[in-house]
Amino acid sequence: MRLAGFYLFAALVALLPVVFPDNYYVTVVGVTAFFNIMLAVGLNLLMGYAGQISLGHAAFFGIGAYVSAVTTVRYGWNPWVAMAAGLVLVWLIANLIARPILRLKGHYLAMATLGFGIIIHIVLVQADAFTGGPDGLSGIPGLVLFGWHVDSDLRWYVVAGAVMLLYVWLSLNIIDSREGRALRAVHGSEVAASTLGIDISGTKVRVFVLSALMASLTGSLFAHQQAFVSPDSFSFFFSIELVTMVVLGGLASTFGAVFGAVILTFLPEFLVVFEDFQMLIYGAILMLIMIFLPRGLFVTMADRIGPMFAGYFRQGIRET
Amino acid sequence: MGVLLQVSGLVKAYGGVRAINDLSFDVKKGKVFSVIGPNGAGKTTLFNLLTGVDTPDTGSVNLDGYELVGRPPHRVAACGVSRTFQNLQIFHNMTVIENVMVGCHLRGCSGLWSAALRLPSLLAEERRIRTWADEALAFCGMEDLAQARSSELSYGVLKKLEIARALAAKPRMLLLDEPAAGLNDTETLEMCELIKKISETGVTVLLVEHNMGLVMDVSSWVFVLNYGSCLAQGTPREIQRNPQVIAAYLGGETGIE
Amino acid sequence: MLDQLIQFLITGITVGAAYALVGLGFAIIYNASDVVNFAQGEFVMIGAMSAISLIDMGIPYGVALAAAVAITVCVGLALEKFAIEQARDATVVSTIIITIGASIFLRGMALIVWGKDIYAMPPFSGEKPIHVGNATMLPQNIWVMAGTAASVLLVRYFFNRTATGKAILACSYNMKAASLVGINVRKMLLISYGLSAGLGALAGILIAPITYITYDSGVMLGLKGFSAAILGGMGNPMGAVAGGMLLGLLECIGAGFISSGYKDAIAFVVILMVLFFRPGGLFGSAQAERV
Repeated sequence: MRLAGFYLFAALVALLPVVFPDNYYVTVVGVTAFFNIMLAVGLNLLMGYAGQISLGHAAFFGIGAYVSAVTTVRYGWNPWVAMAAGLVLVWLIANLIARPILRLKGHYLAMATLGFGIIIHIVLVQADAFTGGPDGLSGIPGLVLFGWHVDSDLRWYVVAGAVMLLYVWLSLNIIDSREGRALRAVHGSEVAASTLGIDISGTKVRVFVLSALMASLTGSLFAHQQAFVSPDSFSFFFSIELVTMVVLGGLASTFGAVFGAVILTFLPEFLVVFEDFQMLIYGAILMLIMIFLPRGLFVTMADRIGPMFAGYFRQGIRET
Repeated sequence: MGVLLQVSGLVKAYGGVRAINDLSFDVKKGKVFSVIGPNGAGKTTLFNLLTGVDTPDTGSVNLDGYELVGRPPHRVAACGVSRTFQNLQIFHNMTVIENVMVGCHLRGCSGLWSAALRLPSLLAEERRIRTWADEALAFCGMEDLAQARSSELSYGVLKKLEIARALAAKPRMLLLDEPAAGLNDTETLEMCELIKKISETGVTVLLVEHNMGLVMDVSSWVFVLNYGSCLAQGTPREIQRNPQVIAAYLGGETGIE
Repeated sequence: MLDQLIQFLITGITVGAAYALVGLGFAIIYNASDVVNFAQGEFVMIGAMSAISLIDMGIPYGVALAAAVAITVCVGLALEKFAIEQARDATVVSTIIITIGASIFLRGMALIVWGKDIYAMPPFSGEKPIHVGNATMLPQNIWVMAGTAASVLLVRYFFNRTATGKAILACSYNMKAASLVGINVRKMLLISYGLSAGLGALAGILIAPITYITYDSGVMLGLKGFSAAILGGMGNPMGAVAGGMLLGLLECIGAGFISSGYKDAIAFVVILMVLFFRPGGLFGSAQAERV
């Protein structure tokens, strides 16, 4: 069963609010976790599978969020139109920069994506006539889905959860296809992939654009859910956090990205009790995991628990 | 039998050193064409030029009317050229069957969106690709290893996997870069049989190899490369008797008898 | 206009000198171990903060500065010993995350020791401005420039003339070959980390009297140092120095003539352009892959 892990996960997501109704960690932190999962799953396609590091992924998340925020607050656009506008803008930008950026490798690629992320962040801070500057922009309207107002924590849980599951499903599908294998081949050996007829730069560009679009849509949802955006949410640090989510769970595993996103969403919630020590502990955990479990928490666990479970979660082996 | 590949006036220099120096030769359709020569003679460079991995300074490579020079590797591959690598280039992040399925890339056409939404057309194509990949694996005698992780296999098996992957593309010409290097005697014998079997299916084989026994056994034409130039060419029998070749190899480890 | 330009040049060179030192630290570590150390900026912060605290304790100025450098060198050695060395076979992405983790860890430590307060350091030698035409500069500007020049020359001497320096260079070309000819690779790695931590601390001490320092000052400085190293072509120490100077100048001229809010953006746009058109950096060789 190719999607057994997915169904299990979907059932878990559906059951949580039933078992723990009105629980802060489910309906509030849970929604944040969903957004992070969406971002991490998209980034994992680019980083985990295609092997292209991005230290500026928060930029696309930010562009989506800000296009939604600015056009709905300042110009009264319909949120759905705003969302589409965000996607179009991100599509344009991603296509524009993808080719030159993805020609770079290793640390140079890291630098270029990082630089891009910082540029976008600075623009969000500086273009205050539109973005409201460092103070951000508030009063973003909620979403209305066919007359159904998404206005409570639980409703947002449903909407974000559904989109999140869609992302996971899409990602699982892509990996197990001609295009997905091409992605992984590019990661495995560029020269071999190209001599088998795979257009390396085209493949990289497509997945870069796709993960940017996924981030943009997440950003739009995030803006409407929070009703407020500020540049802090889209800084260099958040890009790093996203990379950490993907690596923490385990590169090249969709559920690894899910796992990493969940852990990193809840970790600060629990570290709050340590107050000033929060940062210290966070840094230490990052280092320890990367040093001792470099393949990621989830992937290592999946391998340890045994082939019985690993077969369910690890994609790529197909019996159909 | 017509000519499949026509190489003329090929030159490639690396900082003043001419690795390939004005090479011209023809490869006949459906034959095994071997390139031999001492280490550093420019054999791998030649393969890189033929497959678009590297671009020659001048010269032309013509495959049945298509000019290959100037095309990026994936376009050369689309013209029907497939290859293996001297130092293995296996996708270690995939299973054996997935490696071979990547080989079928050019025979499919589904894109990112149909994959994401898992459209029926994609599923049909996936089934076809899987069948082709199974066939290529079976052809190389590896059908029972389909689900193995490539990182767990021995060197000899990986050599065969690269060939299966290259064959899965249904190439008109297959370039094998030292397929027997590092293999033991039994494996070399198997490789020899495999190359003959490939040739029998009508695929033109371009072979670079140091094992002279294998070369003389499978080739119909042998091309001797020395310092980027042609030292001699002819049938295996002619090459074995060629005094220049014997002189160049004198005292060498080769098994020319 | 001309005075303004001179003023920007003075500031630019000062800022650039600090970037150059940080970039030099990046390049040294990258050369020795193929690791981009994202905690490099934290060395700068720790150096400056320790110096300020020690001076506050009443320790003589010169002693305090030397002790601050020593403390930072110890932090650098510890980083190599307990993090980098433990993850010797890690991939590029893993080492990036490890050093980012280290930078967060060190920042967290600084937060506990020094809190969120803003610190300032008394200048080395007075605050009486020096006039250059209608432009002015502080004595500290000269200290920064001279200090940087001196350390760059020393680093050059170290790598070109001393046996240890040459041994580190040998490691950077081929670690296995270096260890085969009897070079203690692990020791060389330690020395490189110590050296670049020391350079970072020096940068921090030099610029602390001009800027203010907080527990998170290292972030931007680290990023700028990384940019400097990339601009110069990763693994080319003198390229990193040139890259740093260039970056400082660009920033100050951009801030002066275009917009101070966008000064960092201008710097990064230039870096992107350089990477797009010269993917190996300004003074680096193009990347090549062997098949």
